[in-house]
Amino acid sequence: MTKVKIYTTPSCTWCKRTKDFFKEHNVEYEEFNVASDGKARQEIVQKSGQLGVPVTIIGNKVIVGFDEPALKSTLGIK
Amino acid sequence: MKGKISHATNEKNFDFIILGAGGVGLAAGMYAARLGLKTLILGHSHGSELPIGGVITTTNVVENYPGFIKLTGQEIAHEIEKHTRSYDLVTIKQEKATEIKKEKNGFIVNTEKSSYVGKAILFATGTKWRKLEVKGSNEFENKGVAYCALCDAPLFKGKVVALVGGSDSAAKDALVLAEHVKKVYIIYRGEQIHPEPINLQRVKANKKIEIVNKTNITEIKGKQFVESVLLDRPFKGSKELKLEGVFVAIGHIVLSDLAKKLGVKTDEKGEIIIDHKTSETNVPGIFAAGDVTDKPFKQLITGVADGCTAAYSAYEYITKNKVM
Repeated sequence: MTKVKIYTTPSCTWCKRTKDFFKEHNVEYEEFNVASDGKARQEIVQKSGQLGVPVTIIGNKVIVGFDEPALKSTLGIK
Repeated sequence: MKGKISHATNEKNFDFIILGAGGVGLAAGMYAARLGLKTLILGHSHGSELPIGGVITTTNVVENYPGFIKLTGQEIAHEIEKHTRSYDLVTIKQEKATEIKKEKNGFIVNTEKSSYVGKAILFATGTKWRKLEVKGSNEFENKGVAYCALCDAPLFKGKVVALVGGSDSAAKDALVLAEHVKKVYIIYRGEQIHPEPINLQRVKANKKIEIVNKTNITEIKGKQFVESVLLDRPFKGSKELKLEGVFVAIGHIVLSDLAKKLGVKTDEKGEIIIDHKTSETNVPGIFAAGDVTDKPFKQLITGVADGCTAAYSAYEYITKNKVM
């Protein structure tokens, strides 16, 4: 399966919801906490062109926010 | 117990359908189950922009809920959800209600995925954030303009930002921002910000926060991201204020459209008018609780209480009227 990266802050409710979605669908993911990781913070601004979390990167696809339809279609979940 | 509930056996049929899975909807579901009502809670209903747990999940610290001296909004929402899910009579579905129709003995609730029948309905739909409507506010949303300080404050580490608003929520957002940023300007249109006294003290004591009263932002400017705002009156000699973020906390819009379509009465703000003793609306079988109602004091603790009252009133309505 394509590597899934998620950029989060600890207190973001939509970040938690996105991670719950991954757990529910047995999707393995790597998490980057942008509150403590300055490099990850710069990365999401460069890759997503915006300043909000969560940001999920699946291959070349960048998904901003908890966008369930986009996550499902990118991951091939019905 | 005053009556006996005859449950519908069909999996699409419920005694009580709750629209909204925030703290209020979840608490009402818990209490309805205690009263023996087969209950469906629809989260994401009615256009709510928040996941299960609702608006309290965007609050950093909750210090006014008895039994918990201090915990985060997400933690208390999780505890309430866990409590509600412990009752087998409750089903929670993350579906959005799109239409409600009154039938002879109840209501049909259509979602984008399915259709359900309920003997009584509770609107616990709450509110959504009011957007800042000035030049540049839509263009720069997520590019410096943000609505969830708790979520996005760390992305503004070391920067100068504005917080627009004067309420208790605005003050709490400013305090969250001050933990991460270099400077927060609270920009408020009125004479003086009006948070709870304890939060006003905290704001005034915080050296990173400066309050700019009687002032409005008229434009947000920048290239890829926000670079400055224009003000409607000079601040320190200039109408342009250099900053990199604009956080917005200017209140909420009530989510009562589906209720209005059913003939439920609302006030001039769109808040559902309820009997403050029973949480009943003017339409028999329809109840409302929490931020969507005309109750003036809106806190998790008060909404939860009204949700439980609504569950009890629904139980009485179903049993007394023998709604089958």
